[in-house]
Amino acid sequence: MTQFTRRFMLAIGAASISVSALPAFAQDYPTKPVTLVVSYAAGGGTDAIARVFAARLEKALDGRVIVENRPGAAANIGTDVVAKSDPDGYTLLIGNQGPMVVNPHIFKLRNDPAETLDPIAMIADAQLVVVVGPRLPVKSMAELLEKAKSQRLVYGSAGNASASHVATLLMGQMAHVDLKHVPYKGAGPAVNDLVGGHVDFMVTTVPSVIGLIQNGTLTALAVTGKERFPALPDLPTVAEAGLPEYSATAWYGLLGPKGLPEEVRQKLAGATAETLADPAFLESLQKDGGVPSHLVGKDFADFMASERERWGEVVKAANIKVE
Amino acid sequence: MIETIEHLGLGLSVALTLQNVFFCFVGCLIGTLVGVLPGVGPVATISILLPVTLSLDPTGALIMLAGIYYGAQYGGSTTAILVNIPGEATAVVTAIDGHEMAKRGKAGLALGLAAIGSFIAGTFATIVIAALATPMTKLGLLFGPAEYFSLMIMGLVLAVVLAHGSLVKALAMIVAGVLLSCVGADMETGRERMTFGLHMLTDGIEFVVLAMGIFGFGEIFKNLADPEKRDVVRGKIGRLLPTLAELRENIRPILRGTGLGSVLGVLPGNGAILAPFASYALEKRLSDRPQDFGKGVPAAVAGPESANNAGAQTSFIPLLTLGLPPNAVMALMVGAMMIQGIVPGPQVIENNPDLFWGLVASMWIGNLMLVVINLPLIGLWVKLLKVPYRLLFPAIVAFCCIGLFSISNDPAQVMMAGVLGLLGFALYKLQFEAAPLALGFVLGRLLEEKLRQALLISDGSMTTFLTSPLSAFLLLIGLVALVIAVLPSMRKSRDEIFTDA
Repeated sequence: MTQFTRRFMLAIGAASISVSALPAFAQDYPTKPVTLVVSYAAGGGTDAIARVFAARLEKALDGRVIVENRPGAAANIGTDVVAKSDPDGYTLLIGNQGPMVVNPHIFKLRNDPAETLDPIAMIADAQLVVVVGPRLPVKSMAELLEKAKSQRLVYGSAGNASASHVATLLMGQMAHVDLKHVPYKGAGPAVNDLVGGHVDFMVTTVPSVIGLIQNGTLTALAVTGKERFPALPDLPTVAEAGLPEYSATAWYGLLGPKGLPEEVRQKLAGATAETLADPAFLESLQKDGGVPSHLVGKDFADFMASERERWGEVVKAANIKVE
Repeated sequence: MIETIEHLGLGLSVALTLQNVFFCFVGCLIGTLVGVLPGVGPVATISILLPVTLSLDPTGALIMLAGIYYGAQYGGSTTAILVNIPGEATAVVTAIDGHEMAKRGKAGLALGLAAIGSFIAGTFATIVIAALATPMTKLGLLFGPAEYFSLMIMGLVLAVVLAHGSLVKALAMIVAGVLLSCVGADMETGRERMTFGLHMLTDGIEFVVLAMGIFGFGEIFKNLADPEKRDVVRGKIGRLLPTLAELRENIRPILRGTGLGSVLGVLPGNGAILAPFASYALEKRLSDRPQDFGKGVPAAVAGPESANNAGAQTSFIPLLTLGLPPNAVMALMVGAMMIQGIVPGPQVIENNPDLFWGLVASMWIGNLMLVVINLPLIGLWVKLLKVPYRLLFPAIVAFCCIGLFSISNDPAQVMMAGVLGLLGFALYKLQFEAAPLALGFVLGRLLEEKLRQALLISDGSMTTFLTSPLSAFLLLIGLVALVIAVLPSMRKSRDEIFTDA
């Protein structure tokens, strides 16, 4: 680093300290309702987490938090809305894997989340689970991968470039097997066809299949995270079951437009931490297959950067691109 | 049989507690309101209310949410009949003859038949759920992409029968509907189709936007352009409730609609939307005066309304028996159950019998309540038509705009509906039917999705639609229906040619 830039950085640092000391509004934050943007229509998995989160965040912030659904364009519209809003902490985003780190590799984005958004804190990390239906009577991950070598297995996904899709892509690439992808509109219809024996297997969110696993309609083979899932302790991770480097989770985080006042950001990070310590919130999170995350600020940003690089390679290898 | 009665008894004992009756009432009331207000749908309402249900007891919460769902289905037909705005795909059919009836001063009769038909359908569907839930679920699971595609083809053939004018125009409208459904990002590659670079079109056109534009705004343009006709119509109100003779006349359509709806409701991917269309087509086929359909035939309201309600109710079957949600509302119900710590699936019936049977029984009570809530309201609704149109239409437009905006908090949706309204008016002027367009639009989306899924699974081999017996059977029915539909009109047009000559 040259002398000039170092001095420049110092100046910026000093300026930001004086700025953050000045305005009284940041300390009183929030003085009006906070809008929490969800990039999906009401009723989806992200929406469900956002609504439960918002209800707890209200208590921690001692102010109104309103969930606003801004669905559209593969969840890129929500990103645009927040990126363009004033960085005052009154417009926030529930960001998740797809629009934050996968979409930049697929779409020409108007607002790149890495440049236009400020990661505040990560909320949760949700495991996915590998399940097979009656069409493919295998009992373990190893058997599934073995079978996939001799025949082209069909898997359903919750949609093109969804967490369920890219997690299966990664699996296929690591195992060097060719899989047949059938996209559905959401996990529900895909699980339905898995139960009906129209597709072979699926990698999907825990809540979409937990009941069917427990009553034996579907067979769970593995979970996709680095650690086992507490509600299904006998289930190995994909890494344990044969693909040592494998890990894929759907995660959720709180972000704001670039340039949030430091005090607001810290208040929000603190409120998020408080929410994540709430046993009732943890319980509902666990039902969604999630574990709380404690990545804040820069750590969260670094995590997003590494996820972005990793999924970029997967998407590139699978040649998914929208012109 | 005795077991079923015992189960229903247990259910009634749960559903009839003061607290649960209250939740059921609240659900039905909210549902009716949401249904009557154009644009505000049950999906948005339930997801907003979901966090509230956290603090309720699980049975009460689910009873209330279920009430919102079938209450909304029911309330939607009120708006369809009175002002020709179908808020849900299923109400499109009700609007055809229902609104005609309203224009002829029979709004009360149309609303009354809808209420009574829905109640009978709801009662029957409750019994179906109690007695046949498990075998019905198996039927639903037989429908993979190939079978579903063939079912949709059959549905499109039925759409032809919906038309009461020119067959060529009806076909053109169906094709236009299918094309409109193709707008937006491709489901497999994400490539944009027919979006002209407009951001608001990347996710395709929302059904509510289409319906409110073409039917709602189109109707308003139509009325404003033709004030004299409208005032004559509104002068008459007519009787409020159907007579016994009218009931007797419509009991068969109601029962047939109930049967169709009960079966189609179980199918995954919202098979219930086919139910009213199928019922309309069936009634038209069985009627002595099919040429009157579209001009305000009571059976064309009673049948489809019953089918609609039965379908709405039996769509709970896959959710309750397997934990598989067949549509967006049921997916929310899964969410509601999970929040309450109940994992949806076959074990619910064993682990939480009071919840399961309580919910089932509450549906019957809810249907009764809907009649109780709505029959007295019919007088009020009909009086609404007496309101001078210069006051009524701005109110309708305002409610529509609020509803449209609330879909995704985006003004672009409101503008799109305005443009579609002009299209609806143009269609009216050119004497094209909007209903086949709406059906083409609804089915087109599923048609493409299922076609591509089926072909992906079969590696592109078209024979997959014939090698599956169920799929082949459905295609055959479609073919037969098409021949029956086309033959008479071909004969007729030949007659016309002859008379002209």
